[in-house]
Amino acid sequence: MLKYKFDWAVVTSGKYFDWLASGLYVTIQLSVVSVALSFLLGLIIAVMRMSHVRPIRWFAHGYLEFFRNTPLLVQIFFWYFGSYKILPQAVNDWMNRQNFEFAAAVVALTIYTSAFIAEDIRSGVLSIPKEQMEAARSSGFSYLGSMRYIILPQAVRLTIPPLINQFLNLAKNSSLAMTIGVAELTYQARQVESYTFKGFEAFTAATLVYVVISSVITILVNIYNKTVLRPMRAR
Amino acid sequence: MKKLGALILSLVLAGGLCGAATAADTLAEAKKKGILVCGVKDSLPPFGYVDAKTREIVGYDIDFCKAITKKLGVKLELKPVTSASRMPQLMEGNIDIIAATMTKNPERAKQIDFSDTYFFTGQKFLTKKGTVKSLKDLGGKRIGTAKGSTSEQNAAKAVPSATILSFDDYPQAVLALQQGKVVAVTTDESILAGQLGKLNKEPSTKGQYEIPDIQISDEPYGLGIRKGDTNFVNFVNKTIGEMEKSGEAKKIFEKWFGPNSDTPLKRNFKITAGK
Repeated sequence: MLKYKFDWAVVTSGKYFDWLASGLYVTIQLSVVSVALSFLLGLIIAVMRMSHVRPIRWFAHGYLEFFRNTPLLVQIFFWYFGSYKILPQAVNDWMNRQNFEFAAAVVALTIYTSAFIAEDIRSGVLSIPKEQMEAARSSGFSYLGSMRYIILPQAVRLTIPPLINQFLNLAKNSSLAMTIGVAELTYQARQVESYTFKGFEAFTAATLVYVVISSVITILVNIYNKTVLRPMRAR
Repeated sequence: MKKLGALILSLVLAGGLCGAATAADTLAEAKKKGILVCGVKDSLPPFGYVDAKTREIVGYDIDFCKAITKKLGVKLELKPVTSASRMPQLMEGNIDIIAATMTKNPERAKQIDFSDTYFFTGQKFLTKKGTVKSLKDLGGKRIGTAKGSTSEQNAAKAVPSATILSFDDYPQAVLALQQGKVVAVTTDESILAGQLGKLNKEPSTKGQYEIPDIQISDEPYGLGIRKGDTNFVNFVNKTIGEMEKSGEAKKIFEKWFGPNSDTPLKRNFKITAGK
């Protein structure tokens, strides 16, 4: 017989609710900033990866393999603890006075996710017939111009489903930031647990919130797809 | 989630135990069988851990078990326990006494009896030398500790204006201290002393860190004995009281926490009857 008494009031009101809410706020900040940055960076890396200039292509290839194939947790520790050794002391001192935990988490999440996004975008680009590029080039577009105006708008649209995956992963991966003391949702849920011993309630609340965040991301991207990208294709 | 599991387990166990527990006479039992079973930690140096060379469990707690069985004239059997399992194990009779870094508190005292305090520690801070002289110096600063520990709650209470950064484990918090990301690391002094010992072994950090004399909570450790077994409690208290008088208790402390040990501590307590 379980004697555990459920006490949902712990997480639906009062101090502990505030903790979880503040954790949610940090998770959203982390996710939004990292989604935007990793998408931009992913685009740039994807274009570099397909460049005709060999060193650029090699660099992008190396970047992809390196960051795709190392665990995110290791990268978070690298940016948070490891960067100390390679940066000048003055920079370290300055950063330690800022919210360096948050910044390190954003950098790690952005770089890690951008590697996956770049590959998704590249596969989108590869699915566009290469005659389009040739036509664009012979019409006088530069390489970057053809990418910017002809290829990428189509490729990104094709990339939407895998991109949703990457954004969802990113939102969930942001929970790893707790390991360096970023007070995001999972961190706060754990705080609530250690203060109240109501772990079941705290983590259930956190789980539900993650489901909501993921659903919102999916819905937003789908709306963007329907209202902005589809009409472009019809045009 | 581990804690939740432990909680459910202990609730179930507690339910099963209700009514079964009767006051036992451990002293007579042990003499009859010629053996006393001592529940100890086996991975928490220097209190109880497996010695790399001999593959035997050794430590501060074990030395107290040895002294008690020697006085009693019986053989000692060591049984590893965890913080979650030690009390149910004792109440079920799998072990006869707990010597496993257990803090005496009123909640536990409802279920088992405690000996006099045989080790006394408290929550302190590990800092760079000379940076923190009193709690005031920590106001508004960042303090590191490990997640889910009571240390975190004590620190938040003691220095409300400070930001508490909780890492996954103490070595990470110490790394953050080395890199200036936090100004102090806080937890039980015995754990901090272990970390300080490590820092002092490293030539690049030797002598640069300290544990200032600021204590924000008391953690008196007691030996756990089955509830109502007054005979055994008296025997244990008499034994450790004599160890204090003869200097043996101090010797054991020096062995594990002396200046040349990995966890140098000052002995700021004496085993006193009734404490």
